[in-house]
Amino acid sequence: MTQPVWLSERVQWIGALDPTMRSFDIVLKTPNGTTYNAYAVRGSEGVAVIDTVKEACAEQFFTRLEAVASYDEIKVIVLNHLEPDHTGALPELMRRAPQAKLYISKSAQLMLKALLNQQDIDYTPVGTSDTVSLGDRTLRFLHTPYLHWPDTQCTYLEEEYMLFSGDVFGCHFCDERLFNDKVGDFRFAFEYYYAHIMRPFREHVLNALAILEPLRMNIIAPTHGPILRDQPKRYMQRYRELSGQRLQSEVNADEKTLVIFYISAYGSTTQMAQMIRAGAEQVAGVRASLYDMEGGDADLFVDLVEDADGILIGSPTINGDAVKPAWDLVSSFAKINVRGKLAGAFGSYGWSGEAVRMLEDRLRGLKMRLPQSGVRIKLIPSSEELEECRRYGQEAGEHLMGVNAPRVLDMADLLASRQAQV
Amino acid sequence: MAKAKVTFSDVNVTVNVPVGTRIIELSEAVGSYIAYNCREGDCGVCLFEVIKGQENLSPVSKEESSVILTRFQEIMDGWRTTKSLDALQEKMQRENFIGKHCRLACQTQVFGDVVVAPL
Ligand code: FES
Ligand SMILES: [Fe+2]
Ligand SMILES: [Fe+2]
Repeated sequence: MTQPVWLSERVQWIGALDPTMRSFDIVLKTPNGTTYNAYAVRGSEGVAVIDTVKEACAEQFFTRLEAVASYDEIKVIVLNHLEPDHTGALPELMRRAPQAKLYISKSAQLMLKALLNQQDIDYTPVGTSDTVSLGDRTLRFLHTPYLHWPDTQCTYLEEEYMLFSGDVFGCHFCDERLFNDKVGDFRFAFEYYYAHIMRPFREHVLNALAILEPLRMNIIAPTHGPILRDQPKRYMQRYRELSGQRLQSEVNADEKTLVIFYISAYGSTTQMAQMIRAGAEQVAGVRASLYDMEGGDADLFVDLVEDADGILIGSPTINGDAVKPAWDLVSSFAKINVRGKLAGAFGSYGWSGEAVRMLEDRLRGLKMRLPQSGVRIKLIPSSEELEECRRYGQEAGEHLMGVNAPRVLDMADLLASRQAQV
Repeated sequence: MAKAKVTFSDVNVTVNVPVGTRIIELSEAVGSYIAYNCREGDCGVCLFEVIKGQENLSPVSKEESSVILTRFQEIMDGWRTTKSLDALQEKMQRENFIGKHCRLACQTQVFGDVVVAPL
């Protein structure tokens, strides 16, 4: 199949099938391959190409495009999203259709320059309610940033109630029958894509839905996976559900939540966790809770972490490393947005206490904020050491509430105290 | 020796330092969330924001500003680092941003009082 596919009398799919792809961006599993969907819209005064494909699939794209229009008819190129899987064929398309005008979202400008590695590009930045006319067809732009890059937008074909949504409502699923009422069961792929690509941007999903839901919708045409022509609004509804609150949170707006995860071999790390919690609870406005990692699994904890303002992790050091449940928990943070949350690590050890520093490094790598260095205690905590834990918890609480007392120190003291810890 | 005060606003810590100290010599020790990697002005990871006292910092070199620009593009590409991207992009677009409000911690030396924060 190298023919274009009709969505309507004026709109054709000119994308590419990539059935052999098995993992996308390394982290996403795509057991069934994927598609890069691009579309051509014909108006009485010219043709618009909406998105392109990955560079390696450019041949398929150009073959289909040529079956639909000649290059000199192309008046408009719309880029809903500048990631390479949709802009790989762009430079070549611009060479073949030099007269075509480029339309990108306002927040895509720097990226376009970086992508094409060139400063003087002719393009038109557009935002919500800007339109471009193709004669008897009109494209309207909708600013829906951060789904899942800062540059993303959607494009609405007004006369046909058709939404070109970019990665939103897409999924990695390759079936040459293309339409949601024809392809195999892709529900898993749809949910998986939401969970891994869109979920970290939940607030932005809600903002986008507010713009998209009022629109009349005949077809949603995303850049990956099935074209949603049968009950397209259902998929919007599903995004609404997935991005919604689970249970109304009982936490007040002026309170902050601290979640303390721990796992203990002989009870020492447990004692530390309890003292840390007690310390944090002394700070007005902090709601601290304790979770034993042995009693749950990382997939359940991740919801908790998503809503928490601060996360502390306690692990003993065993064989010079933190224990597996602690690493599993930290790995699961990649599914959500933890950037800027307060974080810390603590733990007891017998011989050498590497776990705490290792966890701290990883948390820092996730761009979390670690204003304190974690408590490490050899063997069984003494009462002074438990007091140190309490203070650690209290300081964590104060950092959360932004009430930690300003500290002034001399560089020499600062570096000396670091030396002592390592 | 002449002294200067460096305040890390994210952790509310002020350090008295001899002039000529680089920000990176302090940032990790105080627990500020200014990251670093190469320590040689190559990777751009140590990008930070100058809140006050930009005139008290060593001048920005050509190399530093080009590393900042490249790093910025990397950040744009890394979709996980989202929350402040909007703000970041806006700022970068404002004229003169690079090398004024936004510096590399491993390159920047302190010659007077400054207030800094992670980006
Ligand atoms: S740490 Fe690499 S540029 Fe500063
Ligand atoms: Fe994408
Ligand atoms: Fe994509």
